[in-house]
Amino acid sequence: MTTAFSPLLLQFMQESRDGLQEIATRLLALERQPADPELMESLFRVVHTLKGNCGLFEFPEMFRVLHAAEDLMSAVRDGQVAYDREMADLLLEAMDFVAHQFDDIELAGQPDPAQAVSCAELVARLRQRCGMQLAEGGGQDGQQATRHAAEEAARSYMTEALARVPPSLRMAWADATRAGETLLWVQYTPEPECFFKGEDPLRLAVQMPGVLWRRVLPGSAWPAVGELDAYRANLVFQAVATADRSVLDEHFRYVPGQFWITDLPTAAIDVKDQTRTNDALMIVQTQNDALWSLEGSPWVPGHLKAAVTTIANCMRAIGRLEVLPALEACAEQALAQSSVAPVVAWIERHAQVQAMAEVSPNADLQEDIPAAEITAPVAAAAATAAAAVTTVTADADPPVNFGRRAEDSNGARVLKVEQEKVDRLMNLIGEMVVARNGLPYLASRAENQYGERELGRDIRAQHAVINRIVEEMQDAIMQVRMMPVSFVFQRFPRLVRDIARRLGKEVQLQLEGETTEADKNVIEALADPLVHLVRNALDHGMEMPEERRAAGKPATGKLIMSARQEADCVVIEIADDGRGIDPAVIRGKAYARGLVDEATLERMSDREAVNLVFLPGFSTAEAVTDLSGRGVGMDAVRTAIERLHGSVHLESQAGQGTRLQLSLPLSMAVTNVMIVQSGDVQYGLPMEAVVETVRVPAADVHRIKQHNAAVLRGRIVPLLELNSQLGLDTPQRCNEHDEWATLILRVHGQYLGLVIDDFREVVEVILKPLSGVLAGLTAYAGSALLGDGSVLMVLNPKELLK
Amino acid sequence: MKHILIVDDAATVRLYERAIFEDAGYIVREASNGLEALESALAACAEGQHPFDLYVVDVNMPQMDGYSFLRTLRQHDIPQAPAIMVSTEAQECDRRKAFEAGANLYIVKPARPVPLLRNVKLMLGETQ
Repeated sequence: MTTAFSPLLLQFMQESRDGLQEIATRLLALERQPADPELMESLFRVVHTLKGNCGLFEFPEMFRVLHAAEDLMSAVRDGQVAYDREMADLLLEAMDFVAHQFDDIELAGQPDPAQAVSCAELVARLRQRCGMQLAEGGGQDGQQATRHAAEEAARSYMTEALARVPPSLRMAWADATRAGETLLWVQYTPEPECFFKGEDPLRLAVQMPGVLWRRVLPGSAWPAVGELDAYRANLVFQAVATADRSVLDEHFRYVPGQFWITDLPTAAIDVKDQTRTNDALMIVQTQNDALWSLEGSPWVPGHLKAAVTTIANCMRAIGRLEVLPALEACAEQALAQSSVAPVVAWIERHAQVQAMAEVSPNADLQEDIPAAEITAPVAAAAATAAAAVTTVTADADPPVNFGRRAEDSNGARVLKVEQEKVDRLMNLIGEMVVARNGLPYLASRAENQYGERELGRDIRAQHAVINRIVEEMQDAIMQVRMMPVSFVFQRFPRLVRDIARRLGKEVQLQLEGETTEADKNVIEALADPLVHLVRNALDHGMEMPEERRAAGKPATGKLIMSARQEADCVVIEIADDGRGIDPAVIRGKAYARGLVDEATLERMSDREAVNLVFLPGFSTAEAVTDLSGRGVGMDAVRTAIERLHGSVHLESQAGQGTRLQLSLPLSMAVTNVMIVQSGDVQYGLPMEAVVETVRVPAADVHRIKQHNAAVLRGRIVPLLELNSQLGLDTPQRCNEHDEWATLILRVHGQYLGLVIDDFREVVEVILKPLSGVLAGLTAYAGSALLGDGSVLMVLNPKELLK
Repeated sequence: MKHILIVDDAATVRLYERAIFEDAGYIVREASNGLEALESALAACAEGQHPFDLYVVDVNMPQMDGYSFLRTLRQHDIPQAPAIMVSTEAQECDRRKAFEAGANLYIVKPARPVPLLRNVKLMLGETQ
């Protein structure tokens, strides 16, 4: 395979990754509500779809793992295997394996061949899990139990099918068997996904040797036309054959487990016996009427016993001894509950023969089928069968609903677009914003330079129109880039579960406000810091269950992750009810590591002390565990958040828990900057850092030690000159009233005055980070293009005023 | 050897049914009304006796009718055998009444020998 992906593969990978995520979510949900059949069903569906899609490509390992996982889930769904944590672990591991394969495919164009070993091992464990539990549950070998169930189903099919064979034919067969000839009953039920495996069920059925009679019928009732999935086989082939059994086994050798061959007992085909069987089943069904009319009366037990004896005798009379144990169990249950329901249910399951032919919505179709019944020599048989089957497929033809089934497409209609395309669109709109800003300049040039006032006014009018459209476009593209926080949140249930289990802690995760939206870049950049914070909370914050109990708290700790929108910020909170942070310990650590001096420590409030964890080089973990303490401290988290123009606040109450608050801008695409003049150059300053603009009279500037400062609103604010901060010799200029133009900035929670020459307007710009050799200039947050085509350097106050 | 109790107030009917069942090799006993039948049934369940394997019961009888007989029988804690109710009424409400009383099969008179015997054999669990 080449590294250039076909569009089909690309789509498969995209969809499958979503599928994997969905599977993980549902597995975890299932752990909380193991008895929810709907959840199980939907989970099964997703795995099933994934496996089906996977079959389209040449990824045998992935397919085998998914197949084994699907089988296990199917066993769980059918109640044969109980769902528990270990199984969830195993299934999650299987999904991780698949995800890993996707990574390999993306990187190398094909799965790593070395994976075959771990695949085999994983499949073996999945299979073992399936078999082991079946054995435990059924008290016998698991495979045998499934086989037994399948055979019983096939047997009931046989009885029903033979009732449709003309009596004359059956009599002839009965004579033949009495004369010692062996007739075989063959039932072939192709797997629903057989088409994806390159199997051709029809061909296989038509080419079957030694056929005396055959027919084809739907495996289950055909769904409504709109929901029909033409890629799923829903057929059952039945045949009576004279061929040698080994020949038939050989014929079906590629579809193991999908066919069932048995000797045709004389009793099953003898017409007289057939009437007997029907009569017996009639009597059994009559018990149903009898019991229903009885519910609640005082002689229920007596009547139940009589009815059960009647049913048992009838079944015994027609040789269906295998159903008796189950019947007895039902009877005991019914007597214990003094309710007829279990027995009624049993009857409905086992005495369906008459009902099936009557109720089937495709009765007509089945009536047509005798055309497919073949009594002629085998050669002619093939042709007739083919013709008959064409009738069937013709009936199924029009309702082709390509692609996914109705129940798969849950949720809103979405269009998946590569991010590059959206980014390109956004860049174009950004350039449009800049180009728009050029119009006012053009207008003033027309007025002032060329004296064309009319033209100037027209340009301004046109500018207003374009302005409106551009703003709307900008807004629209922002909306496209908005993503729900759930995109990062959804990985946490799994993460928290895994970490908690590894640490032996009990933690319940609560997610709130997952639908809160923010820009894709913000959301994506959040993932790593959040993982780190959650790990910290679980590792350091959360106590062991015994410790929690001793402290009078519930053994299960609570971790709440919430997101909400506040003004133009998205606020994310991570709160735990663990042991909290002891300020004294933090103080000690900070001092021991030489991060703060004694005097500062004494002045510090507990709240400030707790926030010392954000200092570089601070780590409270006594021992480095494999979870946190990998040298990525809280300072890394703070740096990451600040790079997103956000901020972090930490609050902690010893013994009560810790609350971390991340505040991030909703969108980073457009930045508001204030343009300032200093020297002969214009600079930009992000508005989020600007608290206010003041003109400080020169007389109010006080010299404290080497620094200038002024008292503003009762607070001493240090004044720094921009030129000297940038290392320029030019002195700062004040205006004619001897006032210094000063920007009050808030940096790291402290107020600073930045003295400049003069203020200019506030503009919206697309901030582009500096690249190449300029990337090292941390004093600048980036550059932006202004409407007149000039470049504005935007300062980064946090770096500038260090 | 299976035991059958025929409950009918008409001697002719008893004779007719007895002939059918005895020809098929069953041991047959008779009762001419519900009360008598109940006594026989309970006595047969006593120790050392062979309880009945099947009851063939008429509806209208003096002293105790077929419904009351079955209803009472089903309230006793004894081995419960299947019961066929044979009646002249072919209406659905009669059928339901029979089932409510505790019958397991409802046959409209006159009961023809072949189907009657076939149903009896099935309800007794005979394989042939």
